[in-house]
Amino acid sequence: MNHKTTSVLLIEDNPGDADLVRLRLVEGKSPVSVSCVNRLSDGLASLTKETPSVVLLDLNLPDSHGAETFRRIMDHAPNVPVVVLSGQDDEALAMKAVHQGVQDYLLKGDISSKHLERAIRYAVERQGLLRALEITQKQQLEFKNRFLSHVSHELRTPLTCIHQYVTLLVDGLAGPVSPDQSDHLKTVLKSVNQLHAMIRDLLEATRAESGKMRIESRCISLSELLHQAVAMLRPTADEKKVGLEIGVDQRLPLVLADPDRVLEVLINLVDNAIKFTPADGSVMLQASIVDADPGSVYIAVSDTGRGISPEAKALIFERLYQDPDSIDNNRSGLGLGLFICREIVRLHDGRIWVSSEPGQGSTFTFTLPIYSLAKLLAPVITYQDRLRASFVLVRVELTPATNPPRGNWKETWQQCLEIVRRCIYLDKDLVLPPMGTSGAAETFFVVASTDLERSGIMTTRIREQLECVPDLKAKCMLAITTVSVQLPASGEGEPLEKQVQGVADCVTQMILRSMERKPVSVGNGSAGKKQRTSQSRTQLN
Amino acid sequence: MTKPKILVVDDDPDLVRAMRLRLRANNYEVATATDGYSAIASAQKDRPSLIILDLGLPAGDGFVVLERLQNADALAGIPVIVLSARDPQSNEERALKAGAAAFFQKPADNDELMNVIRVSLGSAAAAQQRAPWPS
Repeated sequence: MNHKTTSVLLIEDNPGDADLVRLRLVEGKSPVSVSCVNRLSDGLASLTKETPSVVLLDLNLPDSHGAETFRRIMDHAPNVPVVVLSGQDDEALAMKAVHQGVQDYLLKGDISSKHLERAIRYAVERQGLLRALEITQKQQLEFKNRFLSHVSHELRTPLTCIHQYVTLLVDGLAGPVSPDQSDHLKTVLKSVNQLHAMIRDLLEATRAESGKMRIESRCISLSELLHQAVAMLRPTADEKKVGLEIGVDQRLPLVLADPDRVLEVLINLVDNAIKFTPADGSVMLQASIVDADPGSVYIAVSDTGRGISPEAKALIFERLYQDPDSIDNNRSGLGLGLFICREIVRLHDGRIWVSSEPGQGSTFTFTLPIYSLAKLLAPVITYQDRLRASFVLVRVELTPATNPPRGNWKETWQQCLEIVRRCIYLDKDLVLPPMGTSGAAETFFVVASTDLERSGIMTTRIREQLECVPDLKAKCMLAITTVSVQLPASGEGEPLEKQVQGVADCVTQMILRSMERKPVSVGNGSAGKKQRTSQSRTQLN
Repeated sequence: MTKPKILVVDDDPDLVRAMRLRLRANNYEVATATDGYSAIASAQKDRPSLIILDLGLPAGDGFVVLERLQNADALAGIPVIVLSARDPQSNEERALKAGAAAFFQKPADNDELMNVIRVSLGSAAAAQQRAPWPS
């Protein structure tokens, strides 16, 4: 028998009931210590300071009632067993409590000393087992992750060796090869690349499963990514004689997304579409806005393939799913691609789905949230329910002095972005998130409700602060450009919201045009002209 | 004109041999090392223009080598390209922070790797000649 003292936190507002329970507890054979509070808030405060062996809980307290009472206790101290002591013989509430993790539901009128002692002992045991199970599950997942990471590393080493020597042969660096031999070697290389992709997917899926998949969102133009995906898969489509077309709404707004991850989704979907489309068929990649859902951009990949059965549609985004009909000629992966796509889209707060009829082709669609500049701009460009006369757009461009950049470029520009954020004038002024696909140069935009003259103080401060960053001058060049944006006179009958949207659209276009400019070239002596501050005015109509 | 010398550090001799063949075919001189200790010794002796470095190495792993190189004034300017089978998610940032110029996961695309080698050699030479941001 265990003679360890059981510490009980009794949360009970009725002094008579509290005394009775306390009496029952001390009458028992096991040593017990009881502390009693009469409000939920006091119980929560006590749990913050100490961890009792068990909580005995009345559900109707002065500051909480019913199911809410045990929910809040368990949210606060998930590892402490909770036994409800209730005056109500309510089976539905008791079941609800047990389903949500309460260890027992006892009626105050029914409890004997022996009964209560046993209920507490079992509750503590059960909670302990559950906790042990959780820990074991966590350890198993951790072990699985470590195992897969280790295995994939070990598999990559011999794979790299095969890859190296086959490419040496294919490239003719180990003597001439006949056209036939070259063909055979390319087949080997294709399989090596497939194996490599499988290992990558395996790791990626494990990461998604354990919540370790990360995205780094930026403000991006989808059109660029769509064209990039199509350019990458054009050779595959041409080889299979499948048409690959692209249709992008030119007025597509910016989205807030991780460009590398979105490209991964696009490549996966387009590659699948090509794979399942017969020769002379076509694959179409489209991006558009849907009136019914103004907060999202819809990206759709349609094909003229053989379509997907309703049974397959239900399972297609699950891990390791492979269409049983496709085993003969199209099976080349682990069945993780669409699962990874779903997880990436989910991390972006988007949705992904498929619509298809057997024999009629398929369309995979996913959504990404629009980056609403209007919502952010409104406080900066309006004053007393009218548009301001003007505001200032500052563009800070960092171009690495070398390509590839020296050291950790990401760390450098993130540090600079943080400094720019600290230099803005007023709280409501804006520093927009990083723009465009992460290339060599990084450009930040500041929107400030000030005039051109006064913005000079801010840009000087940005420059001075950036120059304090150690080694920044050696790592990159800095260019700060300021544009004063003149707004049309307000009060012309249009609602303010619409006017703000109009300005936001124009600013988006200005930013996009500015992003299309080639970064300042490096390595040809232009490094000397490092800081160019130009000031200009733009009239928005 | 002398050929740029590249130090290849990998504990798999087969990979070192393949890399040597490819680099020589691309007109580079090649030095090799198969552990961390001899990598540093070779960097000091051979003064390579660039280092291709694996991370999992006996006698001082790749991160130790990166740290030693960064701490030695005469070697700190040599661009290092990390070529490792390890997961980039947990190693790329660390390697770049430790001073690597680029990170490639094995097996790397040869054309891409050769391109980064060319560019890194070019910009390392340019950085030596150029006074950055004159005041």
